[in-house]
Amino acid sequence: MNDKNSDGKAWVSTSGIPLKPFYRDEDIPPQHRERLAAAPGEPPFHRGAYPTGYRTKPWRIFQLSGFGKPEDENARIKFLLEQGETGFIMEHDRNTGDHCYNVDHPEVVARREDVGLTGAVMQSVRDIDICMKDLPIETSYAHAGGAVVQHAPFALAGYWTVAKRRGVALDRLPGTGQSDYFLTYLGCVTKQQVPTDTGLRFNADIMEFCDRHLPRWVPVSIAGYNAADTGLNAFQELGALFANAVEYLEEIQRRGTMPLARAARGCGGVSFRMSMDLFEEASKLRAARLMWQQLLAERYDIRDPKVANLRIHCVTAGSRMTYQQPMNNIVRGTIMALAGALGGVQSLGVSGYDEALSIPSEHAHQMSVRIQQILQEETNVSAVTDPLGGSWYVETLTAELVERAWSFFDEIQAQGGFLASLDSGWLHEKAAENQHREFMAQETGEQVIVGVTAHKDDSSPYEVDGFMGVDDAFDVALERLEDVRRTRHEAGAAAALRQLEQVCRGSDNIMPAMMDALDAEVTLGEIGDVWRDVFGDWATPIQT
Amino acid sequence: MSGKRILMAKTGLDGHWRGPTIVARALRDAGFEVIMIGMARPEEVVQACVDEDVDLVGLNIGGHIDVAVRAVTALREERPELPVFCGGVVPPHAKRKLEALGVEVYPPGSQLPDIVGAARRLTGLG
Repeated sequence: MNDKNSDGKAWVSTSGIPLKPFYRDEDIPPQHRERLAAAPGEPPFHRGAYPTGYRTKPWRIFQLSGFGKPEDENARIKFLLEQGETGFIMEHDRNTGDHCYNVDHPEVVARREDVGLTGAVMQSVRDIDICMKDLPIETSYAHAGGAVVQHAPFALAGYWTVAKRRGVALDRLPGTGQSDYFLTYLGCVTKQQVPTDTGLRFNADIMEFCDRHLPRWVPVSIAGYNAADTGLNAFQELGALFANAVEYLEEIQRRGTMPLARAARGCGGVSFRMSMDLFEEASKLRAARLMWQQLLAERYDIRDPKVANLRIHCVTAGSRMTYQQPMNNIVRGTIMALAGALGGVQSLGVSGYDEALSIPSEHAHQMSVRIQQILQEETNVSAVTDPLGGSWYVETLTAELVERAWSFFDEIQAQGGFLASLDSGWLHEKAAENQHREFMAQETGEQVIVGVTAHKDDSSPYEVDGFMGVDDAFDVALERLEDVRRTRHEAGAAAALRQLEQVCRGSDNIMPAMMDALDAEVTLGEIGDVWRDVFGDWATPIQT
Repeated sequence: MSGKRILMAKTGLDGHWRGPTIVARALRDAGFEVIMIGMARPEEVVQACVDEDVDLVGLNIGGHIDVAVRAVTALREERPELPVFCGGVVPPHAKRKLEALGVEVYPPGSQLPDIVGAARRLTGLG
C-alpha cells in the first residue's frame, strides 16, 4: 500500500488521520457497522437530523453581518435579506460589547477609530431598536448577538425587550443566542471577562429563562467554529464541544430546575467550522450527530429523537481565507460550503472573500449568499440526503473521528472538565501546538496554500482594498449615550440596576432583572460595572 | 540568545491571540527575548518601550489603522530611532499608510522566516 508521497511525506487528513489510497468494505470498524443501515432522521442520526433533508428544509443562508452605527448594520441586514439570506445575524461592536463598556470608557476612547469596525455599537435598548428596525423578527430566525459570554445577557434581553415592545409574544419568537465559551475563553480572549464559573451561571440562567418564556429560542449555541479556528483539529473540535455541552447539562442537573431533556434540546443547536479538507469536514458533521445521540443516551438516558438530533450551523473557516489573491477565496468558500452541505447542515454562513483584509464589503457579502444559492439551486445537492453515506472512505473516516473525539473528550475530563481545561490554559496549549505545527508544515512545503506559499504570481486586475465601514460610529454612539442618560427615567434606571446587582450577589436567575434593566434603559457599561464589581475578572491563563 | 529585546503589543481591544502568539514563539526560537504586553493603549505601548528598553516593537493590529498610527507617532516622539514592525488585518491602503511612516508590515499569509529575518535586520543582527 502506498501511504506516502513520492518524496516520503505521509498521506494524512488535516487532523492527522492516516489515509489509505482507497477504501474497502472491511476498513469500516466492526462496532460501526450496525449503524450503516440507519436512515437519515433515525438514531444514531449520523446520516442527518431529518428524513427528508433539504427537500423539505433547505439549509438557512445565515451570514454574520454588522458594522458602524445601528442603522448601518440594519441596512446591511436588509441588503442580505433582499439578496436571499433566510435568517439574520446581529453583530455588536466588539470593543464595547465583548467588554461591556460604554463608548466613553477610557479603554474605548483610546481606540475610538476601532469602534463600530466589527459590529454596530449598541449601548442601550434604543440602539438595538434602531438596528432591528423593520426586520421580520416574527418570521425570521435571528441570531441576536452576544457571542461573548458576559455580553450575551445584554444582547438577548435587548432583543427580547424590543420584541415585547413591538407586541411580539416571546413564546413565538424564533432565534438563537450564542454565549460561546470557545470564543470568550479560548479564541478571542478579551481584556476583561467574568470568570468561567460565572459564565456557567449566566448560560444556565439563559437556558432556564428560555425554557420558561421562549420555547422557540435556542438559548446558547456552542461554537466549535471558534475552537477550530483557534487551532483545534477536527476531532479535538468535536471532543471539546461535547465536553462543553456536558458542563452545561450538569449545571442544569445540579440545579434541578428544569427537565434535563429540555436542557439538552436547548444546547443541541451548535456550530462547527468547515475547512478545506472536504471529506474530513463532511465526515465531522456525521460524527457530531452520532456523538450527541450517544452522549445523551449513554450518559443521561435521554433517547427522545426530537432531543437527540443535533442541529448544526456551519461557518466556513475565516482563517483559510487568504490576503493574497483574494478572489481565490470565492473558490475556497464554495468548497467549504459544499463540505457543510454534504455533511447535512441546518444553516450555513460563508466567509467573505475579503475576510483576511477587512469585514465583508457589500459585494463580498453578496457573493457569500450567491455561493450558497448556486449550491442549492444549480447543483442538485439538495435532492438526496447524506449523499456520502455508504462510501467506505467516509464511513471509516466518520468512525475514526468519533473514536478520536471521544478520546479527546476523556482527556478533557481527566483535566478536571471543560472549565478546568480553560482555566489552566491546557486547551490553549493544544490549540497553540497545532498552530505551530501548521506554520512549520507551510515552511517545509508539506502544506500548500495557493497564492501564499505557492503559485504566488498575482497579476490579477481585481484589486480588493478592504471595506472600512463608516467613520462616525464613535461620535454618534457618544451622542446617543449622553441622550439616554439625559432623557431616561433616572430613578427607574437606578432602581433596575440596584435590583440587578442584588440578584447577582444572590443566586436567583439574572435574566428577569436583565429584562427590567434593559426596559429601564440601563446601559451596557453600567451592567458591565455590576459584573466587574460582583464577579471580578477571569484569571487569563495565557499572555496574548 | 541574541541579547535583543522585542516588545509585542496589540493596539486594538480585539482578543484574537493566534497570530501574535505564533510570531512570538518564532522570535523566541530565533533567540530574541520577547516581552508581550497584550492589549495596550498607545501611551501604554510607549511607556512599556521605555521601561523595558527594547530594540524593536511589534504591533498586532486588529482594528482601525488610525489607532496603530497614533501608537507609532507617539513612539516616534519618545524614541525616534526605535524600529517598528507590525502584523494583523492590515488592508493594502492601511499598509501603505504605515509604510510611509517607516513601519514594516507583515499581513496575513506572511511566512515566519521572513518575519524573523526582518527582526534580525531591524535590530542590526544582519
